[in-house]
Amino acid sequence: MIISMLRVMALSLVRDRGALVLSFLLPPAIFVIFAAIFSATANDELPLKVALGKGNNVEAWDRFEEVLRAEPSLRIVGATALDPKDVSRQVEQGTVDAGLFIRGETGGDKVPPLLVLTEPGKPLAGGILSGKIRSLITAEMPDMALSTTVLAIEPLIGGLTPAQTERLETATAALATGDRNLDEAQDLVETAFVGPQKRHNAAVTYCAGAVAILFLLFSSMQSAAVLIDERNSGILDRIAVVPRGPEIVVHGKFLFLVAQGVIQASLIFATAAGFYGVDVIGNLGLWLLVTLAASMAAAGLALAAAATCTTKQQAQAVTTFIVLVCSAVGGSMVPRFMMPLWLQDLGRFTPNAWAIEAYQGTLWRGEALTEMLPELGGLLGLAALSTMYAVSVSKRRLRV
Amino acid sequence: MAGGDAALTVRNLSAHYGSRQVLHGVDLCIQVGEIFGLLGRNGAGKTSLVRAICGRLAPSAGSISVGGNRPDGASVPSIGLVPQDIALYPALTIQENLEVFGRLSGLSRKATRLAIEEAIDVAHLGERLNDRVDHLSGGWKRRVNIVAAMLHKPALLILDEPTVGVDVDARNALHRMIQMLRRDGTGILLVTHDLQQAELLCDRVGILLNGRLVLQGAPKMLLETAFSGRGEFIIEFAEILLDGQARTLRDMGFMANENRLSWHLVGDRTLDCFADVKRAGLDPREMHFRQPGLDSLFLWLSQQQCEYASEGVA
Repeated sequence: MIISMLRVMALSLVRDRGALVLSFLLPPAIFVIFAAIFSATANDELPLKVALGKGNNVEAWDRFEEVLRAEPSLRIVGATALDPKDVSRQVEQGTVDAGLFIRGETGGDKVPPLLVLTEPGKPLAGGILSGKIRSLITAEMPDMALSTTVLAIEPLIGGLTPAQTERLETATAALATGDRNLDEAQDLVETAFVGPQKRHNAAVTYCAGAVAILFLLFSSMQSAAVLIDERNSGILDRIAVVPRGPEIVVHGKFLFLVAQGVIQASLIFATAAGFYGVDVIGNLGLWLLVTLAASMAAAGLALAAAATCTTKQQAQAVTTFIVLVCSAVGGSMVPRFMMPLWLQDLGRFTPNAWAIEAYQGTLWRGEALTEMLPELGGLLGLAALSTMYAVSVSKRRLRV
Repeated sequence: MAGGDAALTVRNLSAHYGSRQVLHGVDLCIQVGEIFGLLGRNGAGKTSLVRAICGRLAPSAGSISVGGNRPDGASVPSIGLVPQDIALYPALTIQENLEVFGRLSGLSRKATRLAIEEAIDVAHLGERLNDRVDHLSGGWKRRVNIVAAMLHKPALLILDEPTVGVDVDARNALHRMIQMLRRDGTGILLVTHDLQQAELLCDRVGILLNGRLVLQGAPKMLLETAFSGRGEFIIEFAEILLDGQARTLRDMGFMANENRLSWHLVGDRTLDCFADVKRAGLDPREMHFRQPGLDSLFLWLSQQQCEYASEGVA
């Protein structure tokens, strides 16, 4: 008897080809994506996007800039800026993961020659870049490291004798030609955060946005699956005789899913505001706009998926696939800068990435509406297209 | 027949699923306040005809007019469809379901409220109006299933097997409800396999065979025309007969029912059959005599069709 029941389940799955394909294609597909993310972090291959700036009279560091640009694990974005503010702005806007400004030798004022700029929401990016810089200098420019160290030590010991200076110059020359090496380069890098100084808010804002869009997608997908029940129970047959019946059904559900999404996001951000001081009230208008757009995108996508699937098994597999892939690639599970570049590029086309960026722009960077138009446009465009698709498929399903 | 009082007029309707023709020149008219029973075996074309009437299957030829409007989704809903399944929201109460379907039918909030009040009287729903649908018995669900389709007072109400799976009391209550709707002037297309129900309720019936409406008319008239007042002799067996026994009965003019346990003979000399059956050594569980009904007509038509088909092959 137990075997009979097993047979029923197996035959049902085998005969539902959509569910069958998704049941066995989904796991390896998800594995490939997560493997790509985690193998990059484990193998020290995090490809950071870096904005680079350089002060005046730092020709001695030209070679370092060349080394940086040649480094495959760094993507230096754009031309070299002359003002640290320009680098800072790019980091704040989120167009790069971190920034580096080369101050050059600063004499005895103890200011490190390299300034790493990072967003408080991505402290890891700053740490990774600092480590990478030290490693590059040690490996590729040990002479520079030694010179910098001596400059820092000389004032403390009251200057070097001519003989010491001569030996030092010989050693520096040997390091430059690669005849010797240096294990560590210290006091080269200073790390500073850009933007508002409420550091933890940036991380919490990122997290709230990431979790909000993840749950909007999950709950919308669950609720939209009612479309399949309605089709199977004959409710859609009944409604089919009503003028514009399928439109009414899909649009009514869309409104419900949007309302549900707004309430869910409100609860998440109310918690963020109450416990972590995220300034939602001060940015209420834009926050509501972003929340509406994110809820609409999730609702549209969910209805499109439900309209496409013919059985609940298919819907379960398809929606799990959509939510997991969008959330993994879009930055809801792991920050996107920690992914390989091809995945980062792919992630730019997910509702998760748009929603997270829009929330960051509103609540942390304090951006104006015009600066968030690309993300809002993406969310609203996805909502419109997927809802139209859902209506069209629902209509077609009622035609025999 | 397609005058101003027609709830449904179908003219020369043909339809295809891909290359397969499922309806062949169907002509049908249902008057206001008339119950028309659509009969036919599975696959005869009943569902295709209903889908075409509801605008879900595009005709390849012919025309359909419902209450004067074409059912192409552009007009006010002139149709109420009661699907065979319970097409209601199970987590909602009766009242909530009716509000939803009233509003979906295009009624205003006020008109929906009035329609529900009327429906409560017609279907006697008052006592359980606030019960959730998933807590109702099969009969109650069927009742609400019908009411949800008639709130907007459609010119044509299509009932697809409205009493399937309900007990006798619930069935009788549903029949009373359908008759009340007829009295209120609704044209009703009753799609059913239950021939007794069709005979009891329908003003006229039509029999679909392979996508063709081969017969239509008042049940009594059809029976009179087909059987001219002759009686019907029915013998029931507990087990399916052996080939030789079945051949003996066929030679005597009997026709086997779908289940092959029940054998029918319509004729003048039916009383002699008792003796003939005994003489043939057959041991029926039951034998009785009655006036032929729609099931006899249906059986007779199916037999005619089989003979026609086998002649065609020959």
